[in-house]
Amino acid sequence: MTQTGYVGASSSITAEDVPAFYEGAKFYSPAGGDANRSSVISWLAGLLDRNGPVPLLKVEGVPPETPCVSVCVLGSGSAMADLPPAGDEFVLAVQQIERLQRVRFGAVYPLAAATISALVAVVTAAQLRVPLLDADGMGRTFALIHHTAMHLSGVSPTPLAAVGPTGESVLVEVPAGPRADRMLRANVDTVGGWAALAAYPTTAGVLRRAALPGTVSRITNVGRLLLDRTDPDLLVTRLGAITGCRRLARGRIAELEHLSRPSDVTIPAHPSSVVVDEIGGLGRQLRIELRSEIVAVFADGALIAGAPDLMCLLDVSRGALATLDSLEPGDVIDVLVTPADAIWYSPRGMEMVGMGSHGIPLAHPRQR
Amino acid sequence: MPAQAHIGVTLRPHRAYAAVVTGTTVDVVEPVAPARADLEGVISAAAAIALRAPGGAGAVTVDLAPLLYDTLVRPEAEVPPVAVVRIVPRPATDPALGRSPAELVERRIAHRWTVAGGHDLLGNELCPLDHAGLATVCSELAASGIRHVAVVGAGSQARPAHEREVADAILAAVPGARISVAHDYGGQGLVAREATVVIDCALTALTERLLDRCERTLARLPGSLELRVARGDGGYSTPSRIRVTPVVAFGATEALELCGAAHLARLDDCRVLLPRGGRRLAGEVRHGLAVVRPDEPAGIGTELVVPMAVLTAGPEESSLYLQPEQPPHVLACVGAAISQPASWLDEVAFIESADQLEHVRRDAEERATAMVMANGAAPGTTHVAEISTVALPYSPSGTVRVRVRVAGSPDTSLARR
Repeated sequence: MTQTGYVGASSSITAEDVPAFYEGAKFYSPAGGDANRSSVISWLAGLLDRNGPVPLLKVEGVPPETPCVSVCVLGSGSAMADLPPAGDEFVLAVQQIERLQRVRFGAVYPLAAATISALVAVVTAAQLRVPLLDADGMGRTFALIHHTAMHLSGVSPTPLAAVGPTGESVLVEVPAGPRADRMLRANVDTVGGWAALAAYPTTAGVLRRAALPGTVSRITNVGRLLLDRTDPDLLVTRLGAITGCRRLARGRIAELEHLSRPSDVTIPAHPSSVVVDEIGGLGRQLRIELRSEIVAVFADGALIAGAPDLMCLLDVSRGALATLDSLEPGDVIDVLVTPADAIWYSPRGMEMVGMGSHGIPLAHPRQR
Repeated sequence: MPAQAHIGVTLRPHRAYAAVVTGTTVDVVEPVAPARADLEGVISAAAAIALRAPGGAGAVTVDLAPLLYDTLVRPEAEVPPVAVVRIVPRPATDPALGRSPAELVERRIAHRWTVAGGHDLLGNELCPLDHAGLATVCSELAASGIRHVAVVGAGSQARPAHEREVADAILAAVPGARISVAHDYGGQGLVAREATVVIDCALTALTERLLDRCERTLARLPGSLELRVARGDGGYSTPSRIRVTPVVAFGATEALELCGAAHLARLDDCRVLLPRGGRRLAGEVRHGLAVVRPDEPAGIGTELVVPMAVLTAGPEESSLYLQPEQPPHVLACVGAAISQPASWLDEVAFIESADQLEHVRRDAEERATAMVMANGAAPGTTHVAEISTVALPYSPSGTVRVRVRVAGSPDTSLARR
């Protein structure tokens, strides 16, 4: 197989890229905490040192008949931090599908090119010694495994395999994608709160039309900016130049609230809210609605951003991203919003991952 | 009523420094080098000043952190070898996942064992404890001659049963072993929790020696000076507590410097720039307490679960920051002298209703309050300085992380005499 890199973007991921890749992946999903940051970086950098850089290929650069499979971490980053991987979970999950389908995958891609899920895709590619595709299914993270561009394009997530840190595994085949997530969640809790997932086995040809392109190569550049730990104003300006993000407001966290909206137990993490008093500007009171991600931001009661927008928080004092499990009253934060991939603003995309899916049936600001 | 004088001491690798704080007055102790630049000489010189204060002399709060850090980073430093017993469902298949990412931590580890067992974040058992494997570990450990043992189990902060069972078995096999168990510290992340107990074990002997010296020095002095030890979060604890949890004293200096700078500027809330090796690092003080987090301390290479000051690269625009004129060691001494007893709790809980959330918060506050009183706070003086409960992303609905920080006023009845 010809392995084609491309000009103007990274054509491989090396051990030296890993710290920036970690930070950049956090920008596209601020959900996970940093409790096992150094261990994950050490694991991936060690693998890349031993096995060499992982080639990062455009989907178009891979022969269309190449079998490909996506991987991600299913479940909680906090659970994964306290029960770290033994190291073979992702490869075992991929190999289960290989045995079932009697194929050998020629490339791996992240189900979600964000947070720890972006890193484990590199881990898996390095362990299997196959290239990583510069594409994913979400362009960020969403709550459920069928919240993907592949699902919208009619690609089934199954057969899928989930392997837990206990070494136990589950193989799922369902006729309808949304059933798979419900079947998996209970098993994930049983094996320790997280599992290595291999799903969406398909071909590169299908991914050319079904996956979101360029979502892996951009991560390292974003991460390099974040590692600079520069002045927050300058950082936001620089991030805006390469991601299209903008600052909605700067403010101090006044309150953290829980169970602040009706709960839908099919989606992980209960609804909670962060109340922020804007510093300067219009002196507004912001209300940030959370599930596992930020789902909406209101200013003095008016909706100013909402899913599927990518919203994240920058800890102004530290000049670093604030993860949702580390927020504290008194922290000064910048609320940043970045447009998601266009596919998520389509009627089907909005129905699946828009604010309505989180119990906030309001028109999206970009549609008014 | 005239103010009592309090002494702050910071122990640096090559000399000790002290300052006496009486209300808003600060007297920097200038020992006569070299004979009086050591711990005993500096404390004695500071006590001589403090005992002349109209309100009398109160306490001596010692910052051990620079010496602890120096000992940890010097490969040739005499530190007892530490054994690690990790309790997880199965051992790591990749060497990087079976060790600490921090070389500084790993080089203190003489041997590692894994015993099958462990729980999830909410305390559900994932794997029964492997008693046969534990028996083998105990017999190998007894034969190894290692007497300092760090034990960390997955989910032990929620259910410490496996850690306790392992610790009991080790103690039976190796009488007199110094065992540090991770559930004593709570926090998030097995690797961070493991590094915390390894450092705890490694620093035990040095901490004991330093506190012995401090206590002998105070015993020779007139008055009723009470010994306190600065914590990483900028508060203080009693010597007896620090002897069994020395890692709590690790990394105290930065928080003390921040609080010292704020005190000298007579500010309760401020951002402070501290000089560090030609650079400036920024930290923050809120309501008189340094902003702290469990994080990756500079130069360690891994996260720890004991909170320390959050320091970041200084900004280009520094007009909004306090830039103290006093040298860092003076700030640390002042910060130590004015420190309050403190406690910190960081754990995961499960709620299904607002009532349960309130119960979880109240329970955490009560336990943190009991801890701060054990650390030297007077009854009735404690207050919740910070509390946050956040939903854990991608966890089952109802899973929350609870963090509580409690501070109090010193219990003066703890004075030596």
